Amino acid sequence: MTQRLVNILLVEDDEVDVMNVKRAFSKNNIKNPLYVAGNGVEALEMLDDKIIPLPKIIILDINMPKMNGIEFLKVLRENERLKNISVFVMTTSNEDSDKIKAYNLNVAGYILKPLSFEKFVVSVSTLNNFWQLCEM
Amino acid sequence: MTESEKKCQEELVALKKEFEEFVYIVSHDIKTPMRAISNITTWIEEDLGGNADKEVLDNFRLLKIRVERLENMMNALLELSRVSRSEMELYEVNIPKLVNDCIEMLDNKSNAEFHFTYHLKKENIVTLGKKLQKVLFSLLDNAVRFHDKEKKNVFVEVNENETDYEIKITDDGPGIPEGVKDKIFSIFYTVNSKDVVDSTGAGLAISSKIIKMVGGAFQYTPAVNSGSIFTFNWPKQ
Repeated sequence: MTQRLVNILLVEDDEVDVMNVKRAFSKNNIKNPLYVAGNGVEALEMLDDKIIPLPKIIILDINMPKMNGIEFLKVLRENERLKNISVFVMTTSNEDSDKIKAYNLNVAGYILKPLSFEKFVVSVSTLNNFWQLCEM
Repeated sequence: MTESEKKCQEELVALKKEFEEFVYIVSHDIKTPMRAISNITTWIEEDLGGNADKEVLDNFRLLKIRVERLENMMNALLELSRVSRSEMELYEVNIPKLVNDCIEMLDNKSNAEFHFTYHLKKENIVTLGKKLQKVLFSLLDNAVRFHDKEKKNVFVEVNENETDYEIKITDDGPGIPEGVKDKIFSIFYTVNSKDVVDSTGAGLAISSKIIKMVGGAFQYTPAVNSGSIFTFNWPKQ
């Protein structure tokens, strides 16, 4: 039986961080379709009708223009159709206040962007173990 | 409150807000390009694969170490600026256990032997546990990290006084040259080049600020046969 790979949406405004995720995916041999939105507003538009089937996983940056990660999460959790998507926050912010805000909005994980790419590859590999459960 | 006192109060609030924003900018906005430099370096290195010259690979290694150092310095600045605002929880700690926990966390302690002398009526104290741990860890880490001999001895002595604990960490390492002993509490100062012993040079500056904040005293004295003695007082209240 061929396994159906779930769609993943990455909400990230920094080009290098987008490349970082793409590279880490390829290093870990993760073949899930990856969609990229540059901010919360764009992500909501994409979730509205552009990605079929609806992503089961969102990787979310906090500091973004237009609509930041926390504002996006609030909207997501209030939307009946979107509220069950697993969200992984991925950010440089080690602020307790940001973590608490994120966890209050029911996130599946909080990943601190490490300085080294090698460490990031390991984090993504751990996440992939979880994503595979979403595919069952 | 007089008009001028009110104005001062307002200015203080505005300054605090400005400072908070500055710290936030340092922690997020500057880290992003810094991380990008580190990541892109790794990618270029990977893309070159086995075709790169040894010299090019060496330069990549140097570049990565420098970016890592920059990140450590940035984190240290943030930590220093937040000494009196973060991890301010009071809880009960057992002093000998706290010392042991700090030793557990040390890197490169394989050739180090630790000797303990405790003169305590009460081993447990309700205090700013995270802060005391930070100071103890920094001093123990320095004692081992900068040690220059094969076998390293580190002596931990804690004496309980009426109002405070006197904590003394002694090592039989190289000691600190007389001429620079006043500079060691400055942020980013290291006795040796950072290429000799990799260190951010922030541990003593942060420790000193913590000890000042709790109302203790902190001093360095040379040990009799080379080596260093760092002594600090930690008030009970």
